[in-house]
Amino acid sequence: MPVGLQAEPSLGVPGKKRWAMVIDLRRCIHCDNPPCVRNCPTEATYKHEDGFVLQRYDRCIACRTCIAACPYNARHVLPKNRDRVRIGGVVDKCTFCNHRVEQGQVPACVQTCLGRSRIFGDLNDPNSEVSRLVARHKTVVLKPDKGTRPQVYYIKPDRAQTEQQYSSPQSYAARADAEAFYRHNRGSKFFSGVL
Amino acid sequence: MFEYMNYNIAPWGHEIIIYFFLIGAAGMTFVYAAAPSVFGNVFGGAARSMEPFQRTGLIVSLVLLLICGPLLIMDLGQPQRFLYPIIHFHWTSPLSWGSLFLPLFGLCIVGFLFGHMKGHTGLMRLTGILGSLLALSMPLYTGLDLMVHQTRELWSNATIPLLFVILSMSSGTAVVAVIQLLRGQLDARASEFLHAFLYLSLGVTFALFLAEWVVLTYGSEEKQQAWTLINESFAFHYWGLTFLVGILIPLLLVAIPRLGRDPRVLTMAAVMSAVGAYTFREVLIYAGQLTQIYY
Repeated sequence: MPVGLQAEPSLGVPGKKRWAMVIDLRRCIHCDNPPCVRNCPTEATYKHEDGFVLQRYDRCIACRTCIAACPYNARHVLPKNRDRVRIGGVVDKCTFCNHRVEQGQVPACVQTCLGRSRIFGDLNDPNSEVSRLVARHKTVVLKPDKGTRPQVYYIKPDRAQTEQQYSSPQSYAARADAEAFYRHNRGSKFFSGVL
Repeated sequence: MFEYMNYNIAPWGHEIIIYFFLIGAAGMTFVYAAAPSVFGNVFGGAARSMEPFQRTGLIVSLVLLLICGPLLIMDLGQPQRFLYPIIHFHWTSPLSWGSLFLPLFGLCIVGFLFGHMKGHTGLMRLTGILGSLLALSMPLYTGLDLMVHQTRELWSNATIPLLFVILSMSSGTAVVAVIQLLRGQLDARASEFLHAFLYLSLGVTFALFLAEWVVLTYGSEEKQQAWTLINESFAFHYWGLTFLVGILIPLLLVAIPRLGRDPRVLTMAAVMSAVGAYTFREVLIYAGQLTQIYY
């Protein structure tokens, strides 16, 4: 059995496809104690006061020390010759879309995620959605033993989510979505107006 | 789709390993060459046996350094920015310190060589002391460069810098022994001098090898994973070239009093220890990266 699986994968009908999905967690988690920042010989990587771990592309020498330092495989070297972007041959990483955040927008991955599985916000603001989610749910971070103090939190699935039983929507986001869904469909389309 | 990255890359390849090996050898070759001027009056003047080696040693050290510098620069993704670690110096990064010490070490070699040619003992003594400290800092910083990676347990331990300094002692001894043997200048006094250093370096390497073994087999999950990786992917390099060829056989050779001091046997043992010094670094650097990759 492949390492890390809780059960044997169901491979379905021999000779047929069996679509599956693996969620790869390899992204920058903007550590509060980032080893990449400490080890960078040119301070090309730095910790922004708002929490972003960012990269000065014009200063990076691509020595790849930061790649070696990162325990999450979150860094990569950009190809030298790229078609549409001038930046190349340096190390890059997720920026939490700080250019969007500074304009009051959320990161692109948060905006485009249809399932709203990514929630972004200010953890210092007690009224933000991330604060409430982190306060309300059991969360985990990746490799906490490495001392990096990650800033990407994963909500642990609880029994209500992994086992088949009745449960009301757990998160603020899920409840808001459910309420909006019922409100929108009430009396018109859904189940011939029964709801 | 895969424009941005290869899936799980190991950032450091053979260029870095060759660099780590050569810079260690260059540093220790300089220490041997400068020894008569720096330590000439201690231990009964034993270091004076290196006097015939001085000029050759300095040139060899300089040549090795001139290979190392471009090798390191060419390994950068942005080689034209090679001065940035000095211009934008970052004191928490050993690589910055190494980039600063590397040219200073080169200056000391040139200064010492100049003093040697002009017979300027004061300059030789000054550049010899400074250069020896900088020479020791070369393998030390390469070890520190691995040690500071707190998230890689194979590297993040206190023995790595010491190990790299000791390995450089082996490789430097090999350089000196081979050159002196070829020139017919490896007399009894020089053999005695090199024998002491080789014996010491091999003994400490053996102890550190055993320590590594214990730490990895009794360690955390990541350390055990590293141990599995070493035994599965680098068994020949680790057990064959590093332990057997690089540590055990030369240690046995130099441990036999008369045989170990024989110039030819000593040189052979030193060369074998240099092979081990290279492969030990190779295994540690590669395996240290692979434990992360299989995350």
